[in-house]
Amino acid sequence: MVLDRVVHRYGATVALRDLSLTVDEGEVFSLLGHNGAGKTTTVRIVNGLLAPASGSVSVFGQSPLTDGASVRRRTAVLTESPTLDERLTARETLEAFAEMYDVPRADARPRIDALLGEFGIADRARDRVGGFSRGMKQRLSLARALVHDPDLLFLDEPTAGLDPVATQQLHDTVRRMARARGRTVVLCTHNLVEAQALSDRVAVLGGGELLALGSPAELARRITPRLEVTIETDPAREADAVALIAAQDGLTVTIDRTGLLRVGGIPRERVPDIAARLVAGGIPLFRLEPHEPSLTDAYFALQQPGKGSE
Amino acid sequence: MNQRIVAAIVRKDLRVVRRSRALMTPLIVLPVLLMIVFPTVFTFLPRIVGGARTAFSEMFRNLPDPVKQQFGEFTEATWIRVVHTQMLAPLMLLVPFMVANVIAADGFAGERERKTLEPLLYTPATDAELFFAKLLAAWIPAVMIAFGGAFIYAVIVNVTAWPVMHRVFFPDLTWTVMVLWMAPAFAALGLAGMLLVSLRVRGMQEATQLGGLFVLPVIALVVGEVRGAILLGPLMAVAIGLLVWAIAGALLLFGVKRFKRTSLVGKL
Repeated sequence: MVLDRVVHRYGATVALRDLSLTVDEGEVFSLLGHNGAGKTTTVRIVNGLLAPASGSVSVFGQSPLTDGASVRRRTAVLTESPTLDERLTARETLEAFAEMYDVPRADARPRIDALLGEFGIADRARDRVGGFSRGMKQRLSLARALVHDPDLLFLDEPTAGLDPVATQQLHDTVRRMARARGRTVVLCTHNLVEAQALSDRVAVLGGGELLALGSPAELARRITPRLEVTIETDPAREADAVALIAAQDGLTVTIDRTGLLRVGGIPRERVPDIAARLVAGGIPLFRLEPHEPSLTDAYFALQQPGKGSE
Repeated sequence: MNQRIVAAIVRKDLRVVRRSRALMTPLIVLPVLLMIVFPTVFTFLPRIVGGARTAFSEMFRNLPDPVKQQFGEFTEATWIRVVHTQMLAPLMLLVPFMVANVIAADGFAGERERKTLEPLLYTPATDAELFFAKLLAAWIPAVMIAFGGAFIYAVIVNVTAWPVMHRVFFPDLTWTVMVLWMAPAFAALGLAGMLLVSLRVRGMQEATQLGGLFVLPVIALVVGEVRGAILLGPLMAVAIGLLVWAIAGALLLFGVKRFKRTSLVGKL
């Protein structure tokens, strides 16, 4: 999936501004951003539901605008809220969509049975969707998205409303699709922990612009280069340790409830120096543990005005 | 055009309609009223309402000459023929119109309101397949109910009028043309009108309110018939049917050009 300098407007509002990105086959890719950042617009453009004002889009080497049916035959979208016909049963829902995606009749029934079982809906298959809980609806929506075994799956806030077990199950499904079956998954999410756990790469969007692109670890390191370090020392020497660290430029130090020292704002390359100074000062060092910045740290750093990098 | 995709959407839409009490109530009540209750009641009206015979006889005298020439002097047999082949006949056209109108409203505006349109837009169905499927989902049941209702109507009329007519007198050629030619045309008009309205509104309520305006040609026909201004013969039925087909066709052509994913998604 390739987007090249895509621009989209809703009236006078610019929804996407020169968005360029590539998602490779078999990758789990996350689109992150606040509401209105352009995530859903991107999904709609990639599936041929919206025409970009300028720029080009290619999915499986085809244009979603001119070869939309062919592109959509290989993609699936799990929308943010479960958009199911409440008057249909779970099985009827899957059967209808299997036909719409032209799944061969011989394959449809076993695949539907397998999905109903996999997502824990088998015993409610003949019940109307209107009586399902939010979590069950979300699971059925996901089953519907998978009924034609798509090559490219878009998941818009897939775990919203799911309980922890169902969330874990969805994460397993995503991993299995990508790792074992070579499918591509694009997650649109606000859940940064989920994005970090599942994604090979992430794109952070803000105001329709690409603010950052890379692997979660890479982005975190690039955007938040300073670390937080936890230090455990002899409680009797804590005050000396605090004084020594606080004397260093730009470092902050606090003692947490468990008596551990939390040192913030340390550039990665200065960590050995801090350790050496403590040892040279005769302060016993029981533990020194740097914490890698998370995607969450990077995300919030990016949302500050003036930030952004490719 | 992928017939399997079209058939899947049609089946899904009809299933959804069948399970909605709010939709099925008018779809059952209207045909039962117009095609079972009305013919039964009107056949017996001169007998069951005191003074009705005199009143209808007077009404007959005031009808235009061509009508009087066609049906002759007032008798109970004349009453039955006039009522069923002229006065009530156009009312039958309300059935395909309303059925198509209601189902189309649910299929276009209702689907959008329930947020179930978006997953359909993400399927491989082309814009033309989606459009065609939505049309068929409204048109087929409308025409089937019209045909089925017309058959029941004919049976009821012949059975209830047997003591007077002593023969199978119904349907006549005009009524046959109305059922086979005009009813499908009015179904097409009903759904074309609703399609145009649904492309512009967001909700089912707005759609049904505005879409109902397209019923006015049917009302005009009914009033014209009852007042004797229009004498519906086979040729007139063919001509009116042709006109309605032309209007419905033009509206559908106008609608299909605007039925694009890229436009529909803007109203989600």
